[in-house]
Amino acid sequence: MSTAAARVAGATKVFGEGEASVTALDDLTVEFEQGKFTAIMGPSGSGKSTLLHCIAGLDTLTAGSALIGEVNLGELNEKDLTLLRREKVGFIFQAFNLIPTLDAAENITLPIDIAGGDPDQTWFDTVVDTIGITDRLSHRPSELSGGQQQRVAAARALVSRPAIVFADEPSGNLDSKSGAELLGFMRHAVDEFGQTIVMVTHDPNGAAYADRIVFLADGRLVGELLDPTADQVFEHLKSMGD
Amino acid sequence: MFKIALRSVLLHKLRLTLTAVAIILGVAFVSGTFVFTDSMKASFDDLFEDVNSQVDFYVRGTSEFGSSAATLEESIVDSIRSIDGLDVVVPSVDGIAQLVDKAGEPIGGAGPPTLGFSYLPGGEGLSPLDIRQGDSWPTEAGQVVIDAFAAEANELSVGDVIDVITPIGVEPFEIVGIATFGEADNLLGATLAVFEFEEAQRVFDMEEMISSVSLTVGGGVDRTLLQASIADLLPDQVEIVTAEEQTDDELSEVDEGIGFINTILLVIAGVAVFVGAFIIQNTFRIIVAQRTKELAMLRAVGATGRQVTFMVGLEALIVALVASAVGIGVGVLLAMGIKAAFTAFGFGFPGGPLTIRARTIIVGMAVGVIVTLISALLPARKASKIPPIAALRDVATSAKDLSRRLVAGLIVTSLGVVLLAVGLLLDLENAISMVGFGALLTFVGVSILAPLFARAFARTAGKPLPRFAGTIGRLAQENAMRKPRRTAATASSLMIGVALVSVIAVFSASAKAGVAEVFEDDFTTDFQVALDGFSDPRFTGLSPALTDDLRQLDELSVVARMRIGEYRVTGDSAEKFLLGVDGGIDQVVRLEIVEGSFADFRDGAALLFEDEAELLGVGAGDSITIEVPSGAMLDLDIAAVFAGDALGAPLVVTMPTYVEHLTFRLDRFIFALKSPDVTESEARAAVDAVAGPYPNANVTNTDELIGDIEEQIDSLLNLLVVLLGFAILIALLGIVNTLVLSVSERKREIGLLRAVGTTRKQVKQMIRWESVLIAVFGGVLGLVVGTTLGVATVAAVGQGLKVAIPSGQLITYVVAAALGGVIAAIPPSRAAAKTNVLDAIAYE
Repeated sequence: MSTAAARVAGATKVFGEGEASVTALDDLTVEFEQGKFTAIMGPSGSGKSTLLHCIAGLDTLTAGSALIGEVNLGELNEKDLTLLRREKVGFIFQAFNLIPTLDAAENITLPIDIAGGDPDQTWFDTVVDTIGITDRLSHRPSELSGGQQQRVAAARALVSRPAIVFADEPSGNLDSKSGAELLGFMRHAVDEFGQTIVMVTHDPNGAAYADRIVFLADGRLVGELLDPTADQVFEHLKSMGD
Repeated sequence: MFKIALRSVLLHKLRLTLTAVAIILGVAFVSGTFVFTDSMKASFDDLFEDVNSQVDFYVRGTSEFGSSAATLEESIVDSIRSIDGLDVVVPSVDGIAQLVDKAGEPIGGAGPPTLGFSYLPGGEGLSPLDIRQGDSWPTEAGQVVIDAFAAEANELSVGDVIDVITPIGVEPFEIVGIATFGEADNLLGATLAVFEFEEAQRVFDMEEMISSVSLTVGGGVDRTLLQASIADLLPDQVEIVTAEEQTDDELSEVDEGIGFINTILLVIAGVAVFVGAFIIQNTFRIIVAQRTKELAMLRAVGATGRQVTFMVGLEALIVALVASAVGIGVGVLLAMGIKAAFTAFGFGFPGGPLTIRARTIIVGMAVGVIVTLISALLPARKASKIPPIAALRDVATSAKDLSRRLVAGLIVTSLGVVLLAVGLLLDLENAISMVGFGALLTFVGVSILAPLFARAFARTAGKPLPRFAGTIGRLAQENAMRKPRRTAATASSLMIGVALVSVIAVFSASAKAGVAEVFEDDFTTDFQVALDGFSDPRFTGLSPALTDDLRQLDELSVVARMRIGEYRVTGDSAEKFLLGVDGGIDQVVRLEIVEGSFADFRDGAALLFEDEAELLGVGAGDSITIEVPSGAMLDLDIAAVFAGDALGAPLVVTMPTYVEHLTFRLDRFIFALKSPDVTESEARAAVDAVAGPYPNANVTNTDELIGDIEEQIDSLLNLLVVLLGFAILIALLGIVNTLVLSVSERKREIGLLRAVGTTRKQVKQMIRWESVLIAVFGGVLGLVVGTTLGVATVAAVGQGLKVAIPSGQLITYVVAAALGGVIAAIPPSRAAAKTNVLDAIAYE
């Protein structure tokens, strides 16, 4: 096993207080390997999105620690967290990934531009070419299809060569063909570029693109699959249901 | 529907607050102005009724118009005393007397009059004045009682000896008492100086003369009969009036005096409401746009378009009622603030409670409710017309109304310009309201057109942004461009304020340029002596003794002077200024005689300005009849018709003619030429030495005089700019409104920016730049409109003005607008920076 790109240890997240409180993560410990594609699965309310938010520095844990590389997120203030997201993390959300006033190319280089850096043109071309949106670069999001929008988002997540990319149901709003293309591209990025990706999904077919699947329920780790096929995922989910 | 509307109001507190603030400010201005002026009027009503309550009749000179009262022969007092049935008969002498502070600077005189009164023993109960300090009225020569405000402001107290400027010169007087005007420390900023009776006659140059007589009637006397028998005694141009009539006359004089304050405040309130209406309308439009889906949903489940409009209207009504009521409350506070400010600046008002009349409440509520309803219903009607499915699908509005916008905008703008032109060029009775309405329409027209330029403006003006603010700048630029109508409407409210201050800037620059031109071209004087500071020529002036002193100097060859008075031509109600001159006015001023000869200008003759001659259809050799303030008719032979602008008055008579028929005894200007055998500096030294003891005399050469006048124009216009600052403040509030709403609309976007690593500081920057772009757009629009209107006004007014555009000052306004944008961005940028990333990226 290679070293962890990100991990949480004893992670607990409680929303609300007293009677009305909900425990989303319950003393959870899990690692995400470098250069691997990990999927997080689990029923609604299992805490999978919360886990993603907390390890990506978008939310903070109630107890326990979350680390990206060797950086403990709990020790960072708001500004440092923002800078960490900018430099070390890429995001693909389910929807609303793009700034409507910027064209595709500008959206892709947004994190680099914000940081005041210069995009690596060769790398940019490679990513855009791989993703197949070269001819769409000057279009605004409203002129792109849903699939194209998500691919632009994926390109944005990759172009700054982040330590880790977090994807939250990236194909959730897409038709199956567009979804498959997007996930195929993400797989490609892991295999060819050695990118680390962590994806939350509830789609077994999507999860099958991953190297490893971790299953959550009630905020706890309840299972794991390596090199899964869609059928195995279905089986596993069924067994969880029983 | 009512339930939905009420719930909607309560649910959306942000929306409620932003709209309400705009309404509150507009209503507060209107009601505050009413409360202030009503209170002022009420307290004066009380004061004068109180003051005159001890007196039964006044005998006074008739004064048909103008500000200087006629004088009476003192002998009239004895003939009145001979009549039975009178209890007290007290003559009084009034005039102008300006106090001088310990540093030698004259007190007051800038606007309100510097009044002087006489005191005669036995008249205590009849006097409007109360002694506050040093319980003695002046009983002998060399004593004076002054008003409490002047005393406090200048640290004068009983026992001090101060100089007082009077028509006979400057003399020292000992302060023997400090007086108040009823409860007020002074009367509307007027300073008071009370002298012993005979002393007053001496200093006002009124030996054997008096101004009026106060009478009280003994018990059991028939007043009507008494009044009639006194009236029989009185010569022409002297009358007897009851205390009530006197009160009414005094009140109408006060009304005239405070009328201008009233007018200025109401104009400012009008501008505030107008700007407020823009903001309210824009706020509602954004709100309705944001709710298009919600409204479409209602339509989809069966609500008719009318019901939807009704619901939005009802919501607006609830907000308007609450906000207008609050606005009236704020207006009362504002009125107290204005009153305190006026008192602090030395415009004393009598005390008394604030007067809140039903009219104030009705007008305040009506303004708030009507403006809000119109603002809300227009966008609501539009929203209700969108087919429900289109709204739910979020179809962008078509661009086809662009050409309609262009046409509508051009029509309204041209209509406004035409009205302006008519008001400015034609000599109409209600020209001012025509000009005002024209300006209003022009603003509306330009605001209709503004969205057509908004995008191009943000593209051009925002061009440097990406270069020095990177992607953040680019985002700000794009954000300012994405809803051109919103950007334009927000900028338009700022445009109004900036346009008005630009008009003022252009006007003042042109006035200054005109003054320089007039003085350089039309005067041939070496020295001028004028009053120090800005002052009303009807209420103060230079002591004639100064002219006498200057005429003793060998260093001067010509000492000409001018005195100002009022007259009117029979059958024409317009009051105009006339000048009394002596000492060779033709040698110091280019009269440009076009007809007749200056040689014929002798006592009983007149010089007439050519426009006036044309108006009256007369020329040199003819004669005209004028009426002077005492009511006397005066026949004048026209010696010559002149075309020069220098004198600035249509009619000129000789000083002896002036003195014979008008009562004012102070000089306005003295113009002097040096003798050929002395140098300019020798002559100047001699003039300075003579003028030195006259504290309100300001000696200048032509360049200095131009500088002084420019300074006066600046200070007057700066005051107006400060008042208009309120309109600009309200407009900045509009930017806050728009941006806060835009930020809440773009919550997801901002959340996304934050998620991918945009710092809070950068988010704030982005909002700030957008705000600056909007503000600069408004500033530039205002600049263009204001400069155009200003130049047009100057061209139309013409006389004495020379078109000048103060580019430096105008650029400063745009920079100030940009800074305003930075300040206005504070609340929305804070809100944006606080955007919760998780909420923003959450999806159902």
